[in-house]
Amino acid sequence: MKETLKRCWQTVLGVLAGFFGVQSEARRERDFREGRALHFIAIGILLATIFVLFVILLVRWALSLGGA
Amino acid sequence: MGTIRITTCSFMLSLLLVGNAQAAWTLNLTPGVTEISRSVYNLHMTIFWICVAIGVVVFSIMFWSIFHHRKSRGAKAHNFHEHTLVEVIWTLIPLGILVAMAVPATATLIKMYDPSDAELDVQITGYQWKWRYQYLDQEIDFFSNLSTPREQISNEAQKQAHYLLEVDRHLVLPTDTKIRLLLTANDVIHSWWVPALAVKKDAIPGFINEAWTRIEEPGIYRGQCAELCGVDHGFMPVVVEAVPPAEFEQWLADARAQQDAAAAAAGRSWTLEELMTEGEQVYQRVCAACHQPNGTGMPPAFPALVNSPVVLGDVERHIDIVLNGVQGSAMQAFREQLSAAELAAVITYERNAWGNNTGEAVAPSRIVQLLQGDGQSEQEGGQ
Repeated sequence: MKETLKRCWQTVLGVLAGFFGVQSEARRERDFREGRALHFIAIGILLATIFVLFVILLVRWALSLGGA
Repeated sequence: MGTIRITTCSFMLSLLLVGNAQAAWTLNLTPGVTEISRSVYNLHMTIFWICVAIGVVVFSIMFWSIFHHRKSRGAKAHNFHEHTLVEVIWTLIPLGILVAMAVPATATLIKMYDPSDAELDVQITGYQWKWRYQYLDQEIDFFSNLSTPREQISNEAQKQAHYLLEVDRHLVLPTDTKIRLLLTANDVIHSWWVPALAVKKDAIPGFINEAWTRIEEPGIYRGQCAELCGVDHGFMPVVVEAVPPAEFEQWLADARAQQDAAAAAAGRSWTLEELMTEGEQVYQRVCAACHQPNGTGMPPAFPALVNSPVVLGDVERHIDIVLNGVQGSAMQAFREQLSAAELAAVITYERNAWGNNTGEAVAPSRIVQLLQGDGQSEQEGGQ
């Protein structure tokens, strides 16, 4: 169970590094060694959705400040 | 070879001098005459100086490094593949700069996109190649055509100061009034652009785009179509004339009186000579760009009118083509662009000029009849 959580967290970090665009070679190799493609795709879609929602909220907040 | 170069140089130099003589030659964005245009200008300057600062820092480091670590001093390249910390830093710094620029930019955009509480609505419609201005609820509706003489365009006369930036009727607007602009187009995509107002908005057939402005200083502000819209794209300028509100009310009254006079003119009877005189003016203003001042056209796109079977043939067909245009060709429908008297005059002129001696005069009252007769469905569609 603890092992699964750890791997999950590492996948999340790997996807976030992909979003950011910078990843160290050691981590990249570990992700390719230990990670599963399906996990990366699922977490990638989840995080992309969260990012879109974040942008929507950011725009709403900016508009509410602008008085529109 | 040397002669050619000198000739080219002096040619370029003379171009530059002519440019200078015609207008104050400014490279930067204009601060304009509205609150929005000033914030756009300030944004532009802020971002410009940020770019300058980045440029100075980056190039200083680069040139210093090149000079300081030069080979003649025995510098040896440090060979490494990646450095995560440096990469993270050079990603975070631009991110921070972009966010810092986005904050004021967003504030300006929100203001720009808020046309609420406007006191005057003007609908602007792009045509190939002219603008139509309709003051909604004011019963004023007119076209604004390029007024630069053809001779200047074809280099037969000296070009004047407002070459290609002058029109026969200005878009007159009141100062210190929030004006909503509703933009659309009749044929292809145009873009209505006046730098001093910081308004540049696409005019798209079938869509209504909104923009607004509140002009602070009376004056004349010139602009152009900013979306390539065909062969005369450069020949449909925008001229905005901002006047104090009291003067604007006076202009409204005058413009209405002018429209009423045009309508009344169609009611009376005209002689052939009168129609020919008026018709020639209308022709040179509206038709000559395509069909040429002497009626020879530019076949096959723009047919000749001299000896044309349409012009010399059945008058009803001639009238129909001028009023309703020809589908799928460059021939526009002029029923809304010209008054009944102007339409009758220009058709009469075409049938009697350049050796087309039909001797026929088209009565303005006949055009009024036609416009009213089949204008019913169009009025419903147009509102």
